[in-house]
Amino acid sequence: MLCQICKKKEATIVITKIIGGKKTEFHLCKDCAAVFSDKFSIFPLPQFDINDLLTGLLKAIDLYNKEEGIVPVKEIKCGNCNLTYDEFKQSGKLGCSVCYHDFREQLAPLLRRLHGNSEHVGKIPHQVRGRLDKIKKIKQLRKKLQEVVIMEEYEKAAKIRDEIVKLEGVPKKENAK
Amino acid sequence: MQNNNKETLLQNLKKSTAGWTSGQGYLSDIVISSRIRLARNIEGIPFPTRAEQIELKNIFELSKQVVEKSSIFKDSNLLLLDKLNPLESQFLVEKHLISIYHAQEKHLYRGCVFNQKETLSIMINEEDHFRIQYLLSGLQLNKIWEFINQIDDEIGKKVTYAFSEKEGYLTSCPTNVGTGLRASVMLHLPALVMINKINDVLKAISKIGYVVRGFYGEGTEVMGNLFQISNQITLGLSEEEIIDNLEKVNQQIISQEQKVRKDLLSESKSQLEDQVWRAYGILSNARIISSVETMELLSKLRFGVELGMISHPDLGTINKLMLLIQPAYLQMLAGKDLDSFNRDLQRAILIRNKISG
Repeated sequence: MLCQICKKKEATIVITKIIGGKKTEFHLCKDCAAVFSDKFSIFPLPQFDINDLLTGLLKAIDLYNKEEGIVPVKEIKCGNCNLTYDEFKQSGKLGCSVCYHDFREQLAPLLRRLHGNSEHVGKIPHQVRGRLDKIKKIKQLRKKLQEVVIMEEYEKAAKIRDEIVKLEGVPKKENAK
Repeated sequence: MQNNNKETLLQNLKKSTAGWTSGQGYLSDIVISSRIRLARNIEGIPFPTRAEQIELKNIFELSKQVVEKSSIFKDSNLLLLDKLNPLESQFLVEKHLISIYHAQEKHLYRGCVFNQKETLSIMINEEDHFRIQYLLSGLQLNKIWEFINQIDDEIGKKVTYAFSEKEGYLTSCPTNVGTGLRASVMLHLPALVMINKINDVLKAISKIGYVVRGFYGEGTEVMGNLFQISNQITLGLSEEEIIDNLEKVNQQIISQEQKVRKDLLSESKSQLEDQVWRAYGILSNARIISSVETMELLSKLRFGVELGMISHPDLGTINKLMLLIQPAYLQMLAGKDLDSFNRDLQRAILIRNKISG
């Protein structure tokens, strides 16, 4: 087989590239392969950028929203880093953690499409863990309180109420997200 | 933290061999390495692509404090990448310590924390404030998760991570949000390539939410029949589920590769042996050789070792060679810039020494 680039010399090297998820082979001679690999393997140019996919998806969602009659809010901006939603659509990158809060409504359909889900179920950082555990515990206690009140077990109810008061005791300083 | 300057660090890195090249670990005849990375940011501070210089500096200084104070980082070093020349940066890319993006990015205060075994690396001010990565030889995702989870907890004690109950860990790119976890496994699949079945396999796994990349990650070509398989979904699944699913997908690919290997051995053993020994012949005798040709031949040689046709060199040596023969590594070893021709000369000498030595 002749080299696919110079079409003169015998192809002795096979270079494999993944283009669009498909494996493609290039049969090249030694000289062309050296040029080819110098060009591509030192700092390879991305053939496929995840960002292209993302910005494509963003445009598709915009179109979908238009069809569904959901009117896009004019120029929404992150209150912390001033990134506009339009800028995000261009770059596919958010500016700071507050963007997730300020663009929450717009991001939800995107996250569902990217991940099939938009709710986190994984690890929770230590600092947050305590606070979340407490909220969960209070919720459970409130539910239990209702149950025992219905059963007219007032002694138990008083105990549970005390527990809730104790858990809620510290005045809230942090603004829960 | 160790307090070495840039020159000492680079000197040490030239001599040391990355831990993940050891050739040890579960299924290391097919699995070169396993990796997990976590994307993390600090609350309130803009992500690196949007941060002011002073904010990038603060992140860098904060990282320095964390690494200095914590015993988990006692054998680690922190390197400021701003002052590295392109060759030195590329060398770190080839070592898998930093990403191509991190090497090429222009903003200041880009850093890299890495341990002595080069199994841990934390990229500072890459796309996210922290990109924590852990790499081991063979299929060891659960062990890696155990290690990296501890490291993440340790950093999380010292800084307030950007986190929301709904979206989880918040990242610059929405494709990483949630767990911020990307796990990947590097597979050597010569048999599936040989019988032209690899495309079907790759197509099937991309349909169920997995990504295939080359030896150096995103946007790189496949060399030496090495395929890196990673998860795409980071939100809505727990870390354990992501890791477990990826491991199951990989187990399936591995068992297909094993089956084809068995068939090939029973049907065309002599032809395989011929290919393996020809590869050995060229590698141990060539005087001029390109990195592309080397990777192809090393793949054949590795295949021979995996099939028990040849016992020397061992898997560890072959893994290390795949790194050492890369363009920047060669030039770092030579201590000077080399053009393409001179690299091919040096490469041939290096391979002869390692293989016949």
